[in-house]
Amino acid sequence: MVNPSLLIGLPLAFAFSIPLFGLISKKIEKYIPIIALFINMVISFMLIPQILKKPIVVSIGGWSPPFCINLVVGPLGILLATLISGIGFLVSIYAVSYIKEEPTEKYHILFLLLMVGAIGIVLTGDIFNLFVFFEILCISSYALVAYYKDKEGTEAAMKYLIQGSVGSSFILIGVALLYGFFGTLNMADIASRITSANPTYLFITLAFLITGFGIEAAIFPLNAWLPDAHSSAPSSISAILSGIAIKTGVYGVARMVYTIFNANSILLFIAFLGLLTLLIGEMCAFRQDDIKRLLAYSSIGQIGLIIFALGIATSLGVFASLFQIVSHALAKALLFLAAGYMIYRVGSKSIASLNGLGKKMPLTSFAFTIGSFSLIGLPPFAGFVSKLSIVYAAMQVKKPVFLAFIAIALIATIIEAGYFFKIVQNLYFKEGKNLDKITESSGYILIPIAILAILIIVIGVHPQFITGLLKASARELLERAGYIGWVLGGT
Amino acid sequence: MSLIYNWMYYIASGGLILIGMYIILVKTNLIKIIIGLNFIDTGVNILLVCIGYVKGRTAPIFSTSRINPTNVVDPVPQALVLTAIVIGVAVLALALSIAIKVYEHNKTLNVTKIRGLKW
Repeated sequence: MVNPSLLIGLPLAFAFSIPLFGLISKKIEKYIPIIALFINMVISFMLIPQILKKPIVVSIGGWSPPFCINLVVGPLGILLATLISGIGFLVSIYAVSYIKEEPTEKYHILFLLLMVGAIGIVLTGDIFNLFVFFEILCISSYALVAYYKDKEGTEAAMKYLIQGSVGSSFILIGVALLYGFFGTLNMADIASRITSANPTYLFITLAFLITGFGIEAAIFPLNAWLPDAHSSAPSSISAILSGIAIKTGVYGVARMVYTIFNANSILLFIAFLGLLTLLIGEMCAFRQDDIKRLLAYSSIGQIGLIIFALGIATSLGVFASLFQIVSHALAKALLFLAAGYMIYRVGSKSIASLNGLGKKMPLTSFAFTIGSFSLIGLPPFAGFVSKLSIVYAAMQVKKPVFLAFIAIALIATIIEAGYFFKIVQNLYFKEGKNLDKITESSGYILIPIAILAILIIVIGVHPQFITGLLKASARELLERAGYIGWVLGGT
Repeated sequence: MSLIYNWMYYIASGGLILIGMYIILVKTNLIKIIIGLNFIDTGVNILLVCIGYVKGRTAPIFSTSRINPTNVVDPVPQALVLTAIVIGVAVLALALSIAIKVYEHNKTLNVTKIRGLKW
C-alpha cells in the first residue's frame, strides 16, 4: 500500500531540491516539477481503487486520531488530488518552454509549493493544518502572479495579497473560535460535537469561515481580485489559478458547510450567492476585450455555477457540482494554455488581435474551440454532461425557487455562449493583420493542450469513467456520519 | 469594570482586528494598508492565545516536578500562534517587496492613483 502522505511530501521535497539540481546543471531544474507531479499522479491513480473500497486515514506521530494531525483520504480528497496533480503535471510540461524569463528555478519552486498547498488542503483532516496549507497555496500564488515583476503583475499581486490575507485572517479567526468552543482541531471530532454548541456562535464562526474561503473561491462580493490576478499572471499560472486554486476555496466552503457545520439552513442562501456570482461573472465577461480578462471573468461565472449546484444539496446536485469542478478545471486550463500561447505569438492580449489565427495555428485554435464549446456545454464535450446534470438536479428538487434559479442560470449560459462563439468566429472567419510570421506552437506546448482536449472529449463521451468516483465523493460530503466514522472509528 | 477585567484580552484582540480592518478600508497609502494587515494578524494571534489562557495558571513547561497538567494553560493555541506568526512574517515580507516593485512602476504608493487595471 502506498502511503497517501507521499502525495504531499514528494512535491515538497522536490520543490526544495530544485536549487540542488540547479547546481549540477541549470537545464534539468525545469524537468523536476514534471517528474514530481507525474509520480504524484501515478500514486493518486493507484490509490483510487483502494479508497473506493475503504478510505485511508493517516495519523501522523503515532497518536490516535482526535489527538494527532491526520490526513483523511476519502473519495473527495483523492478525486481532487488526482485532478490537481494531473493538471499540474500538464501545466508543468507547458512551462518547460513557456517560462523563459529568469529566475526560472524560483518559478518552479513556487509552482511545486502551490501544488503542495492545493493537495494538502484537499487531503488534510485537521482544520489548522487546512489553514497552513491554504497559506502555502496563497503565498506562492501571490508571488507567482507578480513573477514577471511588470506594472500589471505587481499591481494585481498587491490586490490579491491584501484581499487574500484578510481572507486568511478570517479563516484563522474561525479556527480560533472553533477551538474555543470544542477544544479540538480535528475536523471529524468538531463535526461529531457540533450540535453541543450555541447556534448563534456557530453562525458567526461559519460566517467567518465562508467569507475567508469565499475570497479564495471568488464568490460574488469577494471577487474583485480575480480578474486582475488571473489576467496579469503568466498564462501557465493563470491556468493553475483558474483550474485549481479557486476550486480549493470551493472545497473549503463545501467541507465547512456540509461536513463540519451540517448547515442545511443556509444552503439556499449559498445557491443564491452562486447564482449571483454566475450572472455577474458572465455579464462582466461579455464586455471584455482582453482575452485573459474574459477567461478570468468566465471563471467567476463557472465558480458561481459550481456553488449554485452545491447549494442544491441533493446527492445529484453535489454530484453535478463536483462534475462541473472537473470539467471546468480541464476546459479552463486548456483555454488559458491555448490563449497564452496565442498571445505569446501575436504579442497582444486584445481579442481583435486573434482574428484569423485559425489558419495560422490550426491545432491550438482547434483546442481552444473544444475548450470553449465544453464550457458553454455543447455535446459531446465534458461540460455538456456536467451542465445537464446540474439542470436535472435543480429540476428534481421540485421547489419553484429552484426552477426560477435554473432559468436564470440558463440565461447566463446563453450570455456565455455569446462571447465564446464571438471569439471562435473571429478565430476562423475573420481576416487578421500581420499574421505572416506566425507559426504553429512547438511540441512542449501542444502536448498538454492536446491531452486536455482529448480528456474533455473522452469524459464527454464516456462520463462513466469518473461517475463512480464522483458519486462516492458526493456521498462523502452528504453523509457526515460516514466521514466521522472513518476518522474516529465506530459506526 | 469586572466586564472589562474579565474580557480584557478578547476586547483587545477584537479591537486590533477592527482597527486593522478600518486601516485597510480607509487609508490610501499602500504601506499603511500593509500595516493594517499586520494589525489583523496580531489581533488574531492574541485571540488564539487568550482562548487557551486560564487565569492564574502557568506556562506548560514541565521542567520542575511541582507542575502538573491541572495548573498549566492550554499549550495548543500557543503552538498555533507560533505557526501563525511565521506565516504572518512571510506575508508581510512578500507584501513589502511587492510594494517596492509597485512603487518603482508607478512612482506613488497612493492606491487611488494606481489604476493600471480597471474593472
